[in-house]
Amino acid sequence: MKKLNIKNNIFRLVRQIKKEFQLLWTDKFNIFIALIVPPLVVALLGITTDISGSSLNLIDCVVVSYDSNTYINEINFTESKLDEYNMKYVNAVNNSNLLNLIQFLNASEEIYAMETARNYLNSKQIKVIIVIPVDFSELLIFGYPGLIECISDSSDFQKIQNNLNAVYDSIKIFVNQNNLTPQFEVSGFEEFSIPEGYSFKFNFMMVLVLSFMVIGVGMVSTILIIVQEKPIARLLLTPVERAEILSAKYITYTSVLIIQDLSLVISSLIFGLYVVGSLFDLFLALFILGFTGLAIGIFISTISKTKTQANQFFFATFLVLILLSGIFIPIDAMPNYLQIIAYALPLSHGGPLITGIITKGKSVFGFDFFTLLSVSVFLVITSFIIFQRRKYEV
Amino acid sequence: MRCKKEISKPSDNSMVLVENLNVTFGKNQIVHDVSFNVDQGEIIGMFGISGAGKTTIIRVLTCQIEEKNWSGNVEVTGLNPSRKRNHSKILSNIGYVPQLELLNLYFELNPMANVEVFTSTYGMNKRKAKETAEKLFKILDIPEDTWKKRVSRMSGGEKKRLSMAIGLIHNPQVLFLDEPTTGVDASKRYDILSYLKKLNQHLGTTMFIITHDLEAALICDKTAILKQGKLLEFETPRKLISSLPSGGLVAKISIESLDQKVIKTVQKFDSVKNVLRVGNETIEVLMENFKNNLPKLMKYLFENDVKIYSMSSDIADFRRFFQIRIQEEEEKENEVNLSEINSEGGIIS
Repeated sequence: MKKLNIKNNIFRLVRQIKKEFQLLWTDKFNIFIALIVPPLVVALLGITTDISGSSLNLIDCVVVSYDSNTYINEINFTESKLDEYNMKYVNAVNNSNLLNLIQFLNASEEIYAMETARNYLNSKQIKVIIVIPVDFSELLIFGYPGLIECISDSSDFQKIQNNLNAVYDSIKIFVNQNNLTPQFEVSGFEEFSIPEGYSFKFNFMMVLVLSFMVIGVGMVSTILIIVQEKPIARLLLTPVERAEILSAKYITYTSVLIIQDLSLVISSLIFGLYVVGSLFDLFLALFILGFTGLAIGIFISTISKTKTQANQFFFATFLVLILLSGIFIPIDAMPNYLQIIAYALPLSHGGPLITGIITKGKSVFGFDFFTLLSVSVFLVITSFIIFQRRKYEV
Repeated sequence: MRCKKEISKPSDNSMVLVENLNVTFGKNQIVHDVSFNVDQGEIIGMFGISGAGKTTIIRVLTCQIEEKNWSGNVEVTGLNPSRKRNHSKILSNIGYVPQLELLNLYFELNPMANVEVFTSTYGMNKRKAKETAEKLFKILDIPEDTWKKRVSRMSGGEKKRLSMAIGLIHNPQVLFLDEPTTGVDASKRYDILSYLKKLNQHLGTTMFIITHDLEAALICDKTAILKQGKLLEFETPRKLISSLPSGGLVAKISIESLDQKVIKTVQKFDSVKNVLRVGNETIEVLMENFKNNLPKLMKYLFENDVKIYSMSSDIADFRRFFQIRIQEEEEKENEVNLSEINSEGGIIS
């Protein structure tokens, strides 16, 4: 008898899965969102970014030099006008892959040089003013550490470090080109960098794009699958079990997710994603992220009573996910209680998980993976409980 | 009431048995002590104005209401829905056709795919499902060229018939239909009713029709009239009509300047039992000893300066019976309310 029941359960489950695929097949828009959009986005990013090793967007700058002005030594009151290294540094700025020199202003010739540079900064035409001090060449000639002053646009505090990194890059070039003893610490650039031939910009973007996309698409394609299926209540007046209906939905959309992740991995590789770690780990990372999105979507669909409600839940949830993902505000800078929430949300684990695999060659099985797994298991169980208890009347 | 409400005892071929059913949600009692029995192959019409409790009773019978909310002895195809382990068997034995097709059909799929979805839940194999579907589609005149089209492209009538076919696809012993003629234009309404009768004759399925549409009584073997959760009548329409004064004979009288005053004048005539206004200038009158009293009524009206255009006699239909029965019940309730107010006033004074 029990054996017969299990056979019936499997028979009904298989048929429910077939129904889900048939419904999905009729929903061309959903297929487009789930299977076409993700690799298309990767392709677009791949095509629009320079694959031959370009960098991030160049940081526009102005160099203001006081080096040609008269320097008075405060110890022996001698005057000097050495500016041997002045133009050499400007050349280094020109040679930097990170900086874009908008204008060089020599303060000995233009008395309003600094004011002009500040106007550039105020009008957002540049991000950084690099100031060469009056004793720049003197210090280097006499073997002292050189000094460069840097005035960065701090209105976007997340970019400050990028601006400083770009200036460090110019100093590194300057030191190498002039055979100077490195006087400037340049660190953090070498360890996990993207090798020649790969696009740094594409790799940098893909970390965010992949995690946002798989979670977002997972949610979008599933938020309506229960709430808009009107005949569910009628279906429940047949011997079919609620668990069979929901399992069929999970199985169907997980299958779609597998195809989506495979297409994402393949298209990412085609368009130049540099992956140090295993491709299977990358696939698993995308899968667990997507599955969490799918579980959130189905959870929203089980608790919503109308399509409008489901859409509102989706927007509210996605907004919270994005705001607390650590992209806009670093998680460590959040108050303690928000940090706990942020770490419980899937998007805050997407970036570290994918970065770890593609740049550091880490295994997928770490804190981030297991947190995502716990979140999805919790959501799956909760959605089954809610769906089991939900009142349906015809 | 004239018709004695008798609960026929459950026979061997009883499909639905309801004894002393009470349904309560919180403090609200929705159904009051309802009892009836339905035999195999019968078509039962459940009539009542909104809030009568029709849908609630059907929900109990279709295992949609938890046992904590109802009491009484209920059996559907010999199984008690109060036991959860019986639910699966009951649901296998019954079919349900909801009021709106969108609750019963996947509009994005074709009729055959819809059939597959539902038949699989009963464990029917694909071949048998296809055979049954084709048989039903032919009885219901669902054109063959629509079988593989999306349901959304079918006409309203075709959807309605497909919905019925889905309800019957597993050959259930009892089929519940919720407002099958609602939202359908007058001519199609009769088509649907005749399809139901046809299905009943071909398949011998017991049918339970919940409806506001009193025309549905035309195909019903028995009709149940409910008001505020109470079962007022449960009998064949013929018996109910014949329980009216003079076996249901009515005088249809058209009167010039018909108003409440004229109606009261008619009501004052001794043998008149009921006066129903059925048109702007038309009333229907039921009275005792119709043949003898009709000429006397005419004379009485003439003496009271009531100008009559025309007069004809006919047998009342179920619609008239329903109106009279509900009217009587309301009058009874008003009397009870009045006496309660009077007795309360007495205590105060």
